[in-house]
Amino acid sequence: MPVDRRRIRGPDESQSPYHFISKESQKCLASGDRRSDDSQRGPLDIRPIFARCGLNSQAKGSAYIEAGNTKIICSVYGPRETERKDETDMKSGRLVADMRFAPFACHKRGAWVQGNEEKDLSLGLLESLRPGVCLHKYPRSQIDVCVMVLESDGPALSHAVTCASLALADAGIEMYDMVLGCTVRHTGTTQLLDPTFSEVQDDQDGVFVENQGSVTLSLMPNMNQVSGLQSDGVMEQESLKAAVQACIEGCYKLYPVIQHTLLKTVRKNAPPSEN
Amino acid sequence: MATVQVSEAEKLYVLHGVRDDLRVDGRGCEDYRHVEVETDVVSNTDGSAKVSLGHTNVLVGVKAEIGKPKPMVPDEGYLEFFVDCSANATPEFEGRGGEGLGIELSNTLVKVFSNKHCLDLKSLCISPGENCWVLYVDVLLLQCDGNLFDAISMAIKAALFNTKIPKVHICEDEDGGKEIELSDDPYDCVRVNVENIPCIVTLCKIGHRHVVDATLQEKACSVASLLISVTHTGMVTCVRKVGGGSLDPESIFEMTETGKRVGKALHAPLMELLQKEESLGSKRQKVGFLG
Amino acid sequence: MAGIELLSDQGYRLDGRKATELRKVQARMGVFGQADGSAYLEQGNTKVLAVVYGPHEVRGARSKILYDRAVINCQYSMATFSTAERKRRPHGDRKSSEMSLHLKQTFEAAVLTQLYPRSQIDIYVKILQADGGNYSACVNAATLAVIDAGIPMRDYVCACTAGFVDDTPLADLCHAEESGGGTSLAVALLPRGGQIALLQMDARLHQDHLDTLMEAAMTACKGVSKVLDEVVRQHLQEMSILTGE
Repeated sequence: MPVDRRRIRGPDESQSPYHFISKESQKCLASGDRRSDDSQRGPLDIRPIFARCGLNSQAKGSAYIEAGNTKIICSVYGPRETERKDETDMKSGRLVADMRFAPFACHKRGAWVQGNEEKDLSLGLLESLRPGVCLHKYPRSQIDVCVMVLESDGPALSHAVTCASLALADAGIEMYDMVLGCTVRHTGTTQLLDPTFSEVQDDQDGVFVENQGSVTLSLMPNMNQVSGLQSDGVMEQESLKAAVQACIEGCYKLYPVIQHTLLKTVRKNAPPSEN
Repeated sequence: MATVQVSEAEKLYVLHGVRDDLRVDGRGCEDYRHVEVETDVVSNTDGSAKVSLGHTNVLVGVKAEIGKPKPMVPDEGYLEFFVDCSANATPEFEGRGGEGLGIELSNTLVKVFSNKHCLDLKSLCISPGENCWVLYVDVLLLQCDGNLFDAISMAIKAALFNTKIPKVHICEDEDGGKEIELSDDPYDCVRVNVENIPCIVTLCKIGHRHVVDATLQEKACSVASLLISVTHTGMVTCVRKVGGGSLDPESIFEMTETGKRVGKALHAPLMELLQKEESLGSKRQKVGFLG
Repeated sequence: MAGIELLSDQGYRLDGRKATELRKVQARMGVFGQADGSAYLEQGNTKVLAVVYGPHEVRGARSKILYDRAVINCQYSMATFSTAERKRRPHGDRKSSEMSLHLKQTFEAAVLTQLYPRSQIDIYVKILQADGGNYSACVNAATLAVIDAGIPMRDYVCACTAGFVDDTPLADLCHAEESGGGTSLAVALLPRGGQIALLQMDARLHQDHLDTLMEAAMTACKGVSKVLDEVVRQHLQEMSILTGE
């Protein structure tokens, strides 16, 4: 999308006032083992998820997912003829993933043009989805996955993966399995599943917390295969292992919801039975 | 070359070899190729290093410039990464061909260094909220034969070790305006503490086993690889699955364990080598590309 | 001249050279194993890597194919850390494109392209450290790389710059001398036949001085050619020992 040049842009140096909120008001675990967001969930619960398929009638398949305040929409186009003709490997299809944040998705206004971080997330999305799609069934063709994050509250990649695999299923693309995403925030000894934006902030300015980081994982539940894994922060290997396990469990918790959504979509789209 | 074509028979050969812990070039599964490190190869930079890992060749230059700190962290400097996949490595990178890989590599480097543990960014501050040092870490790929991440991370560590940031003094004039004065003495400089800078270990899953430091040929035989960045104490700062395939959870745990062990062992010899080179000072015969 | 004295009364230059003296040229062929030909060259503080791929099938648009000779494809780029001030992009700017074009023209004149119809030869040069005379260092390095790749040429192409200060021609300018704003003449020469493959001059020079300046640049080129010849001979000797012949 091109930059709208007629828009009167703010001064180059402007800063969002949210940056200067005192950190005191943001507490991860409010009290006991309940978390501070609206849902009052425990540390190893994911946010309640709302998912629907088939919003965008123009696309072959589409899905919308809402987890707390994170809202993501995904459209799938194709399979269609591939754009690149000189590709040597024509035996299998090409999956193209594009993930973007709407300019209003985060606290700070983003640009319409894709930044480096979005490119990185697109790559992460692509690598998570690719093992799940039967690309060999689509020789000489290309499947486009476009993800738009409408509102971001916490790491968006995991939900984008789930949303994209729903949209792929809705488009009737052959897949080995659904791909589900989950994120865990690890701080000290506590683990928070599916964290919100305030939970992934580096705590207590100045004070360096050892063993703190986030892990994002994509899982194909039926095959028990991990198709994507990313982590940042500084963690011990043991904590990393625990976080990966927590992510896998989180994905299994998510699976029935996604299955239910898919079933509902299939029932809706199926022609009414004869009798 | 960025990729090679491997036939089915070759794949099987590599696979069987890895199963028996004997790779095509005679290495075991956890062995690195021959590594050569040389620092201070480009005099226009504040710090530079050249690393060759088998046929993989990278050159890293670090330039320190004075910039404005980010408003969120007014008392810290920052690092900027740029990876230049030059056409020297392969004709595919000509023009804008290497841009995609370059962005992928630099994004990963940003992730690896995006924590407070690696580098004391506060030491790069000159005057809070106004000036700080920006370290531009420019990576130049000269030849690719697999395992770019490991070579790049070693080169970055060596280049930052070699980096000499000139000392600055802030003097105030009568009107209260601040002026930054660079020290004239080239030996009057600050060094960067590189102790906690991680090394990246890339593990390629081939068959049921995983190998360290895969060549392009071996990479073509593997379905997926896992890169792990490990500090000298064994802390993990970044994990990433790269490549098109998927891994089962058990092998991920095995791979992180191997990665931690191998990565931790990588630091001591590297630091020893760097310190030895440093102690030779100006007496050292510079080899560069002429050797 | 702006401020600094480029030539002292005793006839010495900023770095202590005489007017006609070249900087130290050191080179090595066959630096990389994967490329078809490669070379590294240091000319004073200017350091260049050159890599040659080919001759191979023409990549990309088929309209580029020449049916009677090979296409020569050059790319000139500078490492972002090569100059005193950091460069934002390694290549793609106007100056690099111009340099690429100049290199292409130079090597079209030197390589026996008619031997390889319908094919392509890639020459990639990378400046690792820039200290004046970038073009000439690139040409010299690329010559060695082309020889390393075993591609026949009419002759070595040797390039050198020359400047003009106080009625004296100076050979092989360094960065400080180049940026002084004086005349700078770059010549690429095929030394045996005395043919000029490329000639470029900017800034102003009186017509009467042109001949002496050209003469100085060409002498310098011949000096470079001796060094390059030495490098090639030594490289071949080492190779023949290794192959046991």
